[in-house]
Amino acid sequence: MMQLFRQERMWNKRELKSSYDVVIVGAGAHGLAAAYYLGKSHGIKKVALLEKNWLGYGASGRNTAILRSNYRTPEGIPFYDASLKLYENLSSELDWNLMFSRRGHLTLAHNDSGVTGLRVRAENNQVMGVDSRMVARAEIRHLAPTLNVSASARFPIQAGLYHPPGGIIRHDAVVWAFARACDRMGIEIHTYTEVTGMHVEGGKVRAVTTSRGEIACGAVLNATAGWATTISNMAGVPLQIVTHPLQACVTEPLKPFLDPVIVSATLHVYLSQTDKGELVIGAEIDPYQSYCMKGTLPTLEQMATYTLELFPQLHGVKVLRQWAGICDMTPDFAPIMGASEEVSNFYMDVGWGTYGFKASPISGKTLAETIATGKPPKLIEPFSPSRFREGRLVGE
Amino acid sequence: MNFLFDSEEVPIQAGDTVASALYRSGRRIFSRSFKYHRPRGLLCCSGKCPNCLVNVDGSPSVRSCVTPALDGMRVRHQNAWPSLENDALSIGQHFDFLMPAGWYYKVFTKPATWHRVEPHIRKAAGLGELFENPQGIPEYEHAWMHAETAVIGGGPAGIQSALDAAERGEQVVLIDDQTELGGHLRYRKQRGADPRERIDALAARANVTLLQRASCFGIYEGNLLGVLLGHPHAGAAERLIHLRAQRIIVATGAYETPLLFDNNDVVGVMLSSAVQRLIHLHSIVPGRRAVIVAHGSEGDEVGADLKQAGVEVVEILAPSEIIAVRGSGEVKGVKSRRGDFACDLVIVCGPRVPDAGLLSQAGAKLQWSDVPGAFVPVGLPLNVSAVGDVTGETPVAAAQHFPDSKRAFVCICVDATSRDLKQGIADGFEEIETLKRYTTATMGPCQGRMCQLNAIQVCSRLTSRSMDETGTTTSRPPNPGVTLGALAGAKHHPIRRTPMHHAHAELGAVWLDMGEWKRPRYYQVAGAGGEAESVAAEYRAVRERAGLIDVGTLGKLIVRGKDAARLLDKVYTSRFSDLRQGRVRYAVMCDDTGVILDDGTVSRLADDRFFVTTTTGNLDFVHQWFDWWLVASGWDVSVTNVTGGLASVNLAGPKARDVLRKLTDLDLDPKAFPYMACREAQTFGVPAILMRIGFVGETGWEIHYPAEHGEEVWNAILVAGAEFGILPFGVEAQRLLRLEKRHVIVGVDTDALTNPFEADMAWVVKLDKEDFIGKAALARAASGGGVREKLVGFVMEGGVPEDGAPVVIGGIPVGRVTSSRYSPHRKAGIGLAFVPPELAAEGAPVRVRVRGQLRTAIVTMQPFYDAEGARLR
Repeated sequence: MMQLFRQERMWNKRELKSSYDVVIVGAGAHGLAAAYYLGKSHGIKKVALLEKNWLGYGASGRNTAILRSNYRTPEGIPFYDASLKLYENLSSELDWNLMFSRRGHLTLAHNDSGVTGLRVRAENNQVMGVDSRMVARAEIRHLAPTLNVSASARFPIQAGLYHPPGGIIRHDAVVWAFARACDRMGIEIHTYTEVTGMHVEGGKVRAVTTSRGEIACGAVLNATAGWATTISNMAGVPLQIVTHPLQACVTEPLKPFLDPVIVSATLHVYLSQTDKGELVIGAEIDPYQSYCMKGTLPTLEQMATYTLELFPQLHGVKVLRQWAGICDMTPDFAPIMGASEEVSNFYMDVGWGTYGFKASPISGKTLAETIATGKPPKLIEPFSPSRFREGRLVGE
Repeated sequence: MNFLFDSEEVPIQAGDTVASALYRSGRRIFSRSFKYHRPRGLLCCSGKCPNCLVNVDGSPSVRSCVTPALDGMRVRHQNAWPSLENDALSIGQHFDFLMPAGWYYKVFTKPATWHRVEPHIRKAAGLGELFENPQGIPEYEHAWMHAETAVIGGGPAGIQSALDAAERGEQVVLIDDQTELGGHLRYRKQRGADPRERIDALAARANVTLLQRASCFGIYEGNLLGVLLGHPHAGAAERLIHLRAQRIIVATGAYETPLLFDNNDVVGVMLSSAVQRLIHLHSIVPGRRAVIVAHGSEGDEVGADLKQAGVEVVEILAPSEIIAVRGSGEVKGVKSRRGDFACDLVIVCGPRVPDAGLLSQAGAKLQWSDVPGAFVPVGLPLNVSAVGDVTGETPVAAAQHFPDSKRAFVCICVDATSRDLKQGIADGFEEIETLKRYTTATMGPCQGRMCQLNAIQVCSRLTSRSMDETGTTTSRPPNPGVTLGALAGAKHHPIRRTPMHHAHAELGAVWLDMGEWKRPRYYQVAGAGGEAESVAAEYRAVRERAGLIDVGTLGKLIVRGKDAARLLDKVYTSRFSDLRQGRVRYAVMCDDTGVILDDGTVSRLADDRFFVTTTTGNLDFVHQWFDWWLVASGWDVSVTNVTGGLASVNLAGPKARDVLRKLTDLDLDPKAFPYMACREAQTFGVPAILMRIGFVGETGWEIHYPAEHGEEVWNAILVAGAEFGILPFGVEAQRLLRLEKRHVIVGVDTDALTNPFEADMAWVVKLDKEDFIGKAALARAASGGGVREKLVGFVMEGGVPEDGAPVVIGGIPVGRVTSSRYSPHRKAGIGLAFVPPELAAEGAPVRVRVRGQLRTAIVTMQPFYDAEGARLR
């Protein structure tokens, strides 16, 4: 209980030095996690995180805070499962309550191909030891009694994929807790420090130019998600990535209404209820490429339409905010992790699309190992930047 | 006229809001606060604060102060148990020292107990509840409008701007969220001349549309305004108007916000504008004895109003003089540096904040200006302007005093005090955006209206930064909040039906949803068994006699013009420029990475005229894709979507020729009309396109004819086929029939990464073509690069895996079954599956997971039925 009264700053402002072993561009959950594991597991603490805005300005603070590991591919399943397992212990490890709430994760199918898609995931999950199974309408009704499972709906729910370990977490808290842990190790977090260029010579980044001056560096990690291509361009590294906005909204708080996270792939909507009582609703990515982070009315209307398809009784509940994040989409819907082929000390933690937040701890851990040892761990080998040249697409 | 509040009848007078009727009936406590469950009473009376939220007819968190009271309404209190007056959870406020800002982050980690605590916290949190409305779900409408000039706000500045624009001859829409125009002049009588004349002038203009009781909740890209109109007519709850305006004039004015002092949230502490509204708009005497807290002479105006209404003004105190409000439920008095005063009202003349959120959404910057003492909009985008108090033109500042108190509430939505903010800053959350997320101040139902300025000032002061350096939080739409019902609009989910829909229904169709389409899954014959029996009967009819299926959902395009073949060569992997007139060819379309997008058939009806079919779900995409590649080509091609204009059936089976012969004069002899040929001919007296193709593996014709003859021809074929034992068949029988032929369904047997080589369709890729979309990627795939897996057929004795079952090697899912059924022909389970390329060999055993057990299946690269295709010819 005494922890309640502790007075300590989460992180501190520090002088920007002229040189670091590792410069991490982007102080979101990914960049911070990489810094944390560099310090904790590999003793590399001369690390600077450069953030052009406030801490957690980007996708870390804009996602819908859903965690799960019921992915589809043999590459994706163990990777995200390892991430979920790290998340499960992270509150204790970082001594900061991230409010991870294993509410269960329920994906709905409304047509035959949707059911098959879910069964592929359920079966692959079971083969690889992830708790995930198909559920019929009766059990769906039991898991989410407020859900409209009626057969007379326009697109009646046929079946579901239930993933008990999935849930929601306080996304901002993940950023803050990693930041605190980094700060305690002497790793520096520099907010409002924008990277404007890179000095590349002899196949290596020698220095990073920022809005506050030039910094020499041993290695650079690009952990900027939606802005990945802009940073990568500075190093002269081309990326097979396009950027799309992804929108979400939140309603006024309601008394407990919904336990599990609900996803409908057919209706392109997902929602969960926070501990405060708000419903957080997410859409699919906008169909056009853009770096704009403004919400649009058509997408908001679509989220509302699909939400009411699932929960007609919410018609009188007000949306209080809508926002957009930007997503770095790869051609095969899988991330790109590892050293770039063109610039040997320029590392990628990009191409997360809509899955980035779920992967924060494990991407940080594995990329820290890659940077520290020069060799990517087996878990992320399939996600190497060379796969597009080699035609080894991963999928998801 | 009256409404029910919980179990109490509340009388309504003309012009009443729910709140004014409740206040007049003597009610002072309207709701309970979010965290500490402290009593909340009317504070702003203008729809800006979170204090008067009630449940109206089942909808939660409705602002009673701006909701017209209607006869028979069902109003309930929320967030208090057992009653508003005695709320058990208000005990929490006495333990507030245990719950400073961010307290929940700091505990429950060692030992990890969050999972046990969370359910209790969750239960206590939240605000509104949903109740069923006996009238059912109300109607919500969508509407679209255009204006040359849209004016937001019907106060004096907005009225004048609208008049000016109207006099210039512009089409004007004026949006105001009150029941009557006039803005603050309606209740601040000393502030200016009665605007009645100007309002009448406005209402008389034909080029002015007044949207009253309508709030603009967002300015979106391209001057799109989201406007919400309450109760547009008796039949609808709300109407959402999409208003596109050439010019926007924002005249949203300024709204009053609270001052900070101890117990500033006690019921009876009201903003001066709120009591003025009660007095002038609702003829309510708000109390008996009032203390006014105001800077300088700012309290004189409301003081005069109070006296006129018969309220005794006990004292006027400066913000720096008030120490605390006394009273736990309702105001009992005031403790001040000038002594204690007994009273039942504390009237606060707070800072008036320019309501500039919409301008900020439109792209304006909000810059601090000491002179009005407000964030004022600068750098307005083109075609957006601001007039009146929203510009900060009137000095609106009340010098704020900042007590370090655990009872001076900055954010009344979530009970965040100035001490909470201080704690947050001490914890390192110095940026206003992080401070907001840590303390959740400004994130409640009032969307920051009541607390943003105070929060920024506290933050600026404690971090020794200027107001501009501290900055504001981002204004996001919708503000004010908009119901999901209004956003969704009327529930019009189209159902697409083929021209023969009703004939299917009569035949006992059991429906299947395919996108917006309804298709017969199978036909339930009276007296027969269930799906399995029906499908088996339909299958036998096609294999042994004749069957007829409605394929009207297929996409159908006419591609015409001198360069039509050139376009098809470009977008499909096969070659069509050498397709002879009267011939049909299978077509696969890929993207530039070689991934299969769609498949279908291309029939050459004339040298410059092709008939193209697409899959059901991809028609719109394929049409757009054609147009996309045509845009800059300069080619002579036109593409017409004829899907809705044609009915389409597939007649198949060994007796199909005998059936069709009865309906057409066309020579159906295999020599005259061979496999993969097409003809245009009269069928049952109707012009039709006939194609000899065989998706289900039997002699058959796909027949496309005008939709208006849909049922007529369908029925004619069934009548003609009766003597041969024809049956209509549905999608499920078709799936089985085509699977026995190993025919692939794109989107079922392929996924978002499958290329033709992986789908075992190398023959459709003509790499010797000059160029086509996907050529580079497919050339690489042809040499083995990028082939991750291969689609194969398999036979499984004694079992049928489910669609989606994995192929497993060494505990890893290395592939998956895409389609599987029991084959009556092979008397075994058959199917299609993706397997690693090295297993794609005739006779290779693979292990497939069937209901939890691994079973062996044998790979085959041959069709399961009629491998030579003899029956098709």
